Amino acid sequence: MKLRVAGTTYTGTVVDLRTRPIDGTALAASIRGQRCLPAVACPEPSSVYAYAGHVRPSMGLRTRTALAAAARSQGHGTPQDEAIAECCAKLTELDCSPPDLPDPVDPVPEATVDDLQETVAAHRGRLTARREVGAEEEAVRAALRDAAMELSERETRQAAARETRELRRERARAYRDTLEERRRLSDELANLRRCARATLVDRCADAFARAVETVPGAVPDDPFDADPVTAALAVLRVARTPAPVVLETGRFGTPAAASDCLDAPVVRC
Amino acid sequence: MLLVVTYSRAARRDLRNACRAHEGCVVRQFGRAALFSGTEFGAFQALRLHEKHGLDVQIEHVEPFEPADVPEHVREAAKRYEARTEPATPYERFASSRDLPGPEQLRGVDL
Repeated sequence: MKLRVAGTTYTGTVVDLRTRPIDGTALAASIRGQRCLPAVACPEPSSVYAYAGHVRPSMGLRTRTALAAAARSQGHGTPQDEAIAECCAKLTELDCSPPDLPDPVDPVPEATVDDLQETVAAHRGRLTARREVGAEEEAVRAALRDAAMELSERETRQAAARETRELRRERARAYRDTLEERRRLSDELANLRRCARATLVDRCADAFARAVETVPGAVPDDPFDADPVTAALAVLRVARTPAPVVLETGRFGTPAAASDCLDAPVVRC
Repeated sequence: MLLVVTYSRAARRDLRNACRAHEGCVVRQFGRAALFSGTEFGAFQALRLHEKHGLDVQIEHVEPFEPADVPEHVREAAKRYEARTEPATPYERFASSRDLPGPEQLRGVDL
């Protein structure tokens, strides 16, 4: 690794920064590629670094998840991998962006149209009656024309409103179907990942138990009950660790001893 | 009544909060859905969720239902099928040998 802190460059597999004022959290983030400073050049860290890449007394650890990541770093696969990849691909393919809906149109009440239909019929009747007796019919004809026009306009608006409503419902339903599908796939993915993790943890459980006995720290009856620092060190010993590990713990006599035990490049701070 | 269904975690959380804060307008609460009373206040609470979460909140009008609202032949079919002696008989076969509407026939008719 190559590390640059406040104008000084450090190289090698073991770097001791105990005398330098450096923030271990920032350094670990740099190693994971989440920060630019301090500048670190090192091999790509695996996902195990997200859990155990920064060992410190205040840390917590989801031991099984971290151990599964360690198993992955060793190249272990699971029978679920194919289904997991498929599920992920399906999830990324799903377009869950909300659709554009046409603006809602105020509905035209059925009663309005019914009333107008009655008016038109009444005018029509009056017109026929006047025609029969030979009375003046122009005023009634005009009233009929106006009423018929208004009726047709209202009917058109009613149809348009109905259509818009249908369209809005259709699009909303399609969108919600997609959301349901996403929910179903996410559940499935979570289940598959749980299964895969159990498989990986099983596979590495013995190696982990031996590692808990080897690294400095208390050894509980069940290795999974080990305190977070012990567990993290054991996970690191099990994992393949090409990138540097940040240690903020005095468990090891020297940084070099830590590097030997964990088989990893080490930054002690 | 109004059926309010949520489709995202945030909408579901707010629905739960609304139900807790306004018990009076909640007829029933399910996991990610709830029945609100058919009052303006129920609609107000439902619309607040809709304003905040858009299409992640679905609101439907729900009408009370009584078996008597359904045509006699449908009720009769349900009654006789549930009283069948052979539990493994699918409805289609059950109906075909009796004077009952087939499933396709039922599907094609709106209530």
